[in-house]
Amino acid sequence: MGLGWVIGVSILNLFLALALSPLLEGCGRKLRAMVHSRIGPPIIQPYYDLAKLLGKEDLRSSANPLVRVAPLVCLGTVAIAALLVPMGTFQASTRTFEPPLGAYGDTLLFIYSIALAAVATIVTGAASDNPFAFVGASREMMMHLTVEPVLAIALITAAINAGSFRMGDMVFWYHAHGPTPSMILAAVFFFLALQAQVGKLPFDIPEAEQEVMGGTFIEQSGPQYALLRWSLMAKQVVFCSVFCQIFVPWPMVGHIAWDVLINLAKVFVLVLIIALIDAVNPRLRIDQAVRYYLCLGFVSLSAIVLALAGV
Amino acid sequence: MIGASLRAGIDPLSAFFLLTISIIAFCATLYSISYLRHYERESLVRYYPLLLLFFASMAGIVCVADMMFFIVFWEMMTLTSWALVVYERENKESLKAGLIYFIVTHIAAGCLILGAVVLYSYSSDHSFRFDGLRASLAALLATNPALVHLVLAFFFIGFATKASTLPFGFWLPLAHPVAPSSFSAVLSGVMIKAGIYGLVRLFCTLLPISPLSQTWGIIIALFGILSLFVGTISALMQDDSKRLMAFHSIGQVGYMFLSLGAGFYFFPLNPALAAIALIAGLFHMINHSWFKSCLFLNAGSIMYKTSTRDLNKIGGLFQLMPWTGVSAMIASLSIGGIPPFNGFVSKLLIFESCLISGKEAGAAFWARGFFVLLGLAAIFISAVTLASFLKFINSAFLGKLRGAEGISGDVPLPMRIPQGILAFLCVLFGVVPFLPILMGYQAIRSALPEGAFPASASLFGKMWPGISLDFGMGKISGVWDPLWIIMAFMILMGGVFLVARAGGAKVREVETWYGGLQHLPADTAYRGHSFYRPFKQVFSFNFKNIEFRGLYPTTFPLPKISMPQGVRTFLSPDQWLYYPLGRLFMKLTRGFSRSHTGHPQMYLLWIAMGVILVMVLVLSLPGE
Repeated sequence: MGLGWVIGVSILNLFLALALSPLLEGCGRKLRAMVHSRIGPPIIQPYYDLAKLLGKEDLRSSANPLVRVAPLVCLGTVAIAALLVPMGTFQASTRTFEPPLGAYGDTLLFIYSIALAAVATIVTGAASDNPFAFVGASREMMMHLTVEPVLAIALITAAINAGSFRMGDMVFWYHAHGPTPSMILAAVFFFLALQAQVGKLPFDIPEAEQEVMGGTFIEQSGPQYALLRWSLMAKQVVFCSVFCQIFVPWPMVGHIAWDVLINLAKVFVLVLIIALIDAVNPRLRIDQAVRYYLCLGFVSLSAIVLALAGV
Repeated sequence: MIGASLRAGIDPLSAFFLLTISIIAFCATLYSISYLRHYERESLVRYYPLLLLFFASMAGIVCVADMMFFIVFWEMMTLTSWALVVYERENKESLKAGLIYFIVTHIAAGCLILGAVVLYSYSSDHSFRFDGLRASLAALLATNPALVHLVLAFFFIGFATKASTLPFGFWLPLAHPVAPSSFSAVLSGVMIKAGIYGLVRLFCTLLPISPLSQTWGIIIALFGILSLFVGTISALMQDDSKRLMAFHSIGQVGYMFLSLGAGFYFFPLNPALAAIALIAGLFHMINHSWFKSCLFLNAGSIMYKTSTRDLNKIGGLFQLMPWTGVSAMIASLSIGGIPPFNGFVSKLLIFESCLISGKEAGAAFWARGFFVLLGLAAIFISAVTLASFLKFINSAFLGKLRGAEGISGDVPLPMRIPQGILAFLCVLFGVVPFLPILMGYQAIRSALPEGAFPASASLFGKMWPGISLDFGMGKISGVWDPLWIIMAFMILMGGVFLVARAGGAKVREVETWYGGLQHLPADTAYRGHSFYRPFKQVFSFNFKNIEFRGLYPTTFPLPKISMPQGVRTFLSPDQWLYYPLGRLFMKLTRGFSRSHTGHPQMYLLWIAMGVILVMVLVLSLPGE
């Protein structure tokens, strides 16, 4: 795998995850408005928001240097996660579906970069001295604690099937072996974990504007807030790509341009589904969410059992 | 003659542990210089000699090749560490913890001695030498496997108690918090690793690879997962910083047991998978020494400055103690398994070797399921560890400044340097994982006297300093190349930084917003105790009249033993032996002191009388 290929595909992935994610978010917001019988903002509104926030005054309630660093780390790790995920990048010469940094880090690195993004959000909140931010941080961590096992179990089902933790191998294996019961189950569980991972209703408990006024984000403003919002949007594209590539790798034609477009279309549909669920659901309480995901974690072991049985 | 000789030698396995011991010894001793000022009432004479003796006995344990002297050094370690646990001898709590520690570890040492004696009696040349014991174990394996199980069980109890695996490790959450922080760091960083060393020595060097080691692999992994689960989840409940860390020691030892157990189980089936698991266990052992010692030193620094271990009473110390704060942050992220720190790499190896066993065709279905399940539980617990240490960071270092009235500045330099060294090692072992992995590889290889051991290049690839894992399945199943990932991360961070500055936003300091009303920070503080309440409630319940908080019994109704007054009096020799004797002695000496009148004439008289007395005595002796 040449360095040129790595850099080229990296730029492509970053473009999809960072530059295009506000557009997808805008589409989601439009759909939400339609469900509410509103007209809604234009679909490029998230770009306006980001641009406006980047120029806004940055109000700091704490002299703690971590407040400055944490939002940078948050978006940076989401960007790294985007480079560890295949986004339709089929490589013709070696016939693999390797993500750009797939030769340097595997699924566990992906899981832990998402964890680091959560840590950065929590530290941003906790370093800002606001008690609401502490409540948000505590909730964010609890959500991470309970959702991460479900996410990990779904991905590890694929890894056990493929006999490898590299995402490229996982895509390649599933694409070659067709739908199997264990992977279909894993796809369902991953989908159920998706809503919480991207921080949408009914699981946007850590932010919960009506209860804790944005939780960890309460003291954020200006560019800091822009980075955090942006990382949430990018996370959505990253997770949707994981779902579309690892759990539903069809159709795939074997040409990088087409595959990227097909992936984008699938991600678009998935983002709309997430927005629809977001629009029609009320928020759960944190203890309900914790219990729900702990139970889901236990149930999702069934996918592992099927994978061990070889189906 | 009992056939024991002080044979000492250093093979790579000993060297691996010696490295840990010596670095932690240096850091802890340097830290003590300033830290012990905190204990004004205690004498340094009861600290330094014992501390150095403790390090010497630790070095002895990992170097001798003779079971007799192994046990001698083991006992020396236990006694010196006990004396240091009860360093604050006026403190009831530490005396009680010390007593429990003393009793429990001596029962464990008794088990060790029993096991050793049984083996000794069966050895052909009646010696305690390791190679002699190995031969007698091999002979027993063929003739009497049940006895081998018994001997292994004795050794296992001995080692598991020292390594503080649950249910044997209940002494640890009592003993670690009360010891001086500099010594708690040693307890967690070095002493509990003696159990790990013993286990590796026993199952790699002494016991030939056999179906028995497979059975014991499962047992070790089971105890590992028990302490991993219960230890870590109950750590989430703790508000005392050192007690929190002590529970995490139990949990982290669980990781080591888990991966060692997987290694012992899979060795006859798939040496590559087993080798990676065993190396992962050792790697996690050394990593745990770095980050846990660092964290105990951080807790010590907080105690030094604020005189409290209670996380509810402190907050916002980051501004005051940036050095301590940064090292605590690095160590916490390491123990939480966040890349690119060292904990991530060893956990990666443990998780992947447990999970990939699901693909191992040679193993039975239940065994594959068992180890995959254990691997998944370990991933979950890793997140709990992270949560618990974020609570520590959040309540101690972030938020509004609390509990720090009238203090200024960070801790003195001799306390900052050890924290810095350990935090640096956390980063180094994460960024250059090939180094410790190679050391672990050599250690495991030297510990196994025979058998085909896969080459390191076939296990870990040639991606120096990164690793690419091949679990003997003919393909690369996992990768971690820190240099490229970190480089990409740096570039991305640079880009993000430029974007954040692109709008030219101005920065302004403002007051924290409390919802429109003026409140004091103290009224609104979110204390450590409140973190993760709903999650903690899931794991807290009552069973009969035992109260479980985070799966760990907090109130344990011990059977009340009543005994007659006479026995009770007999059991406290203070009352009828020590104090009366002491009073008698005092009276006697007071009588003597009366002779000190201060008149020189009187002293001369005494001398003259003494001379006469001696002369009379000499002259009255019968001559030849």
